Amino acid sequence: MANKGDLLLEMKDVKKRFGGAIALRGTTLSVRAGEIHALLGENGAGKSTMLKILAGVHEHDGGEITLGGTQFIAGSPQASIDQGIAVIYQEPSLFLDLSLAENVFIGRQPKKGIAIDWKEAQSQAAKLFKELGVELDPKRQARGLSIADQQVVEIAKALSMNANIILMDEPTAALSASEVERLMTVMRSLRAANKAVIFVSHRLDEVFAISDHITVMRDGATVSEKPISKTDLQTVIKEMVGRELTELFPKTEHKIGEVVLEVSDLTNPAYFRNVSFNVRKGEIVALAGLVGSGRSEIARSIFGIDSYDSGAVKINNKPLKKNSPIAAMAEKIALVPEDRRQQGLFMVAGVNRNISMESFSRLTGRFFINFKKERALTEEWRENLSIKYADQSDPVDRLSGGNQQKTVLAKWLATDPDLLIVDEPTRGIDVGTKSEVHRLIDKAAGEGKAVLMISSELPEVLGMADRIIVMREGRQVTELSRKEATQENVIAAATTGKKGI
Amino acid sequence: MASNKKKLSLGREGSLGVILVFCVAVTGFINPRFVTGDGTRDLLSATAIVALLAIGIAPVMIMRHIDLSIASTVGLSGWVVADFCAKNPSFTWVHCFIIGGIVGIAIGVLNGLLVAGLRLPSLVVTLGTLYIVRGAVYVISNSVDYNAQEMPPSLLKLGGTAYFGLLPFPFLLALILMVVVAWVMKYTKAGRDCYAIGSNPPAADLVGLKVFRRTFIAYIYCGFIAGIAGVFYLMRFAQIDSTAFYGQELAVVAAAVIGGIGLLGGAGTAVGVVIGALLVQTIQGALAALGVDAFWKAAINGALLIVAIYADRVLARRSEKALLAQRIKERV
Repeated sequence: MANKGDLLLEMKDVKKRFGGAIALRGTTLSVRAGEIHALLGENGAGKSTMLKILAGVHEHDGGEITLGGTQFIAGSPQASIDQGIAVIYQEPSLFLDLSLAENVFIGRQPKKGIAIDWKEAQSQAAKLFKELGVELDPKRQARGLSIADQQVVEIAKALSMNANIILMDEPTAALSASEVERLMTVMRSLRAANKAVIFVSHRLDEVFAISDHITVMRDGATVSEKPISKTDLQTVIKEMVGRELTELFPKTEHKIGEVVLEVSDLTNPAYFRNVSFNVRKGEIVALAGLVGSGRSEIARSIFGIDSYDSGAVKINNKPLKKNSPIAAMAEKIALVPEDRRQQGLFMVAGVNRNISMESFSRLTGRFFINFKKERALTEEWRENLSIKYADQSDPVDRLSGGNQQKTVLAKWLATDPDLLIVDEPTRGIDVGTKSEVHRLIDKAAGEGKAVLMISSELPEVLGMADRIIVMREGRQVTELSRKEATQENVIAAATTGKKGI
Repeated sequence: MASNKKKLSLGREGSLGVILVFCVAVTGFINPRFVTGDGTRDLLSATAIVALLAIGIAPVMIMRHIDLSIASTVGLSGWVVADFCAKNPSFTWVHCFIIGGIVGIAIGVLNGLLVAGLRLPSLVVTLGTLYIVRGAVYVISNSVDYNAQEMPPSLLKLGGTAYFGLLPFPFLLALILMVVVAWVMKYTKAGRDCYAIGSNPPAADLVGLKVFRRTFIAYIYCGFIAGIAGVFYLMRFAQIDSTAFYGQELAVVAAAVIGGIGLLGGAGTAVGVVIGALLVQTIQGALAALGVDAFWKAAINGALLIVAIYADRVLARRSEKALLAQRIKERV
């Protein structure tokens, strides 16, 4: 067992290239026992590559990695596990068909004679879950667990391996506030047990709430490495993007016109009840609240993906057919969904095909798609949104997260919608692209579109919205104007359901 | 909660067992001959080959792979064994099993190298080897057939042996294998790795499981069992030609799926597939015993498969809904 302050991991001038592309051009990182170390950087800065080298998925081409003084054996996941490194990926990699106990001990099941001792595995897993402060049945199948609970299982796995170094890749990206709190408690207890915790996050408030050390990466190199006391939010952002971000939320004033979307008494008992609000031309209305408060489900019901039990949706003063995305699109509604990979894009299709997907009717000649028009449309939106790709026909899964998100936006903006619904428009994308996405949303509102924005990021909500509707557990708690809204009263409403502070 | 868990672990095997008993009971009531010793022995004897092959393919399917070449392997193994025996009259049943096993292992190694080594999609690879192996039978057999007189008497005698007047030797062998495989799949790392690999292949790599070794060995094992099934074929039919067992691979896959092996891997047991094979055969036998036209056989098999998949889906939806309801409850 390591003592607090022992140097557990040291990376010096580590390099990695994939074919012609340089992913790491000289990264340094040193992490000590009993420390929570945040690894920050824009998408493409090389954080994931670094984690994957430590996980044994990739092998570095140059530089030196030592673990407590001994040379790191690279290039095999099994070797990394043996050297006390555990990785918790953004999307937990559990075996959903297997029990929790088995997930914890997979490949290392306790044995009695030649047979696996299931009783022992279960009791050890139960003990680990208890240490982590969660009540999970070790015999239960992993299928159906929430993301937060899946992470706990992964952490239990790391503990059972006696890992000294625990890497977490954006562990909070899909968690609600209370789950984040629980995860932080677990992280603190890992720190207390003199483990080294390295975590990647785009949520800077959390980073400052929990970490002891911050390493910032940019373009495959380490830019700075400082204890938390010697840095601050502004400095970190500056280091990440390499320039001063003067306007994170470039909101401009627009003329607000007549009502475009009118939702009245919308109810689907499983998710939300009696929701009523409207969105006007040129206005950005935000649905704020915790993950699971029913916001995405409201958007899905308006767009017709899900049905609702009672209530009504009117668009431009006409009733909108229930449960029909085709009707919604005919009324010029666009929905940019929260999960771009699963819901927003055809990952193996080209950028051009994705962007033109909803605009085919304008691209066809008499019978066939006019590919010249498709190219022109793609080019137009590449310029508008400054999407970066090598070729129009590149499959979108080759683009970075930020460029993927811009592609989804382009697809829907190309339909020239009256109502633009954006669900978590900046999840998992870096600060620089974030502010571009904000600018685009603001521009859409400036062109007279009505915008309904769902976001779990408070600064984004406060920075962008003209009005904020706060949801809690499927109910509308309050509505705040831009002037009234503060960090405190939105959080209070979202977490306690009380309108005042 | 406790009852729920029980449902999960007993689920498929239990409910299939109930259906099986129900079929036997109803048919036996209408046609008592069906449940006599002779009737049962016929039924088990007819089930043995498919049951054996289903136990063979189970680990492969649990790993989210498939082996379509098994029926061709049965044909090749059966023909090669018969050919050796015809040319060496002194051969006994022991020789038959050894030769059959070797032929099967050879095909298994080929499949394993292509699927595990080159990481080619197993559906395409084994579709290819299905035709290659069958083609090989056509070429080497040169339209020569073998009959009972060319086969070792000891083999035919063994095929006709029934223990307690009920349990034919081939079926008993399948049962023993079932117990062994069920134990290995539940209580060894190799077995559990199969479930993990089928459940989430990328994660299996990430946690450092020996994916190549496990997949390779599963294919060799499956090929070996198919080779043994070729000997079963000789025991049962006492004749062989180049088209033997042609096109039967999907009947085995169907029995495995009915027996609870998910096509997406990660689920199923050896006990389940044997019950699945028994159920398919029982319904076939029951239809015959009830005087239903034999033309309906294939159609009813197909319907059974769809019903099994549908039942799975309904159960999955139900548990999904229960989970959702539980979450809503937790929130209120």
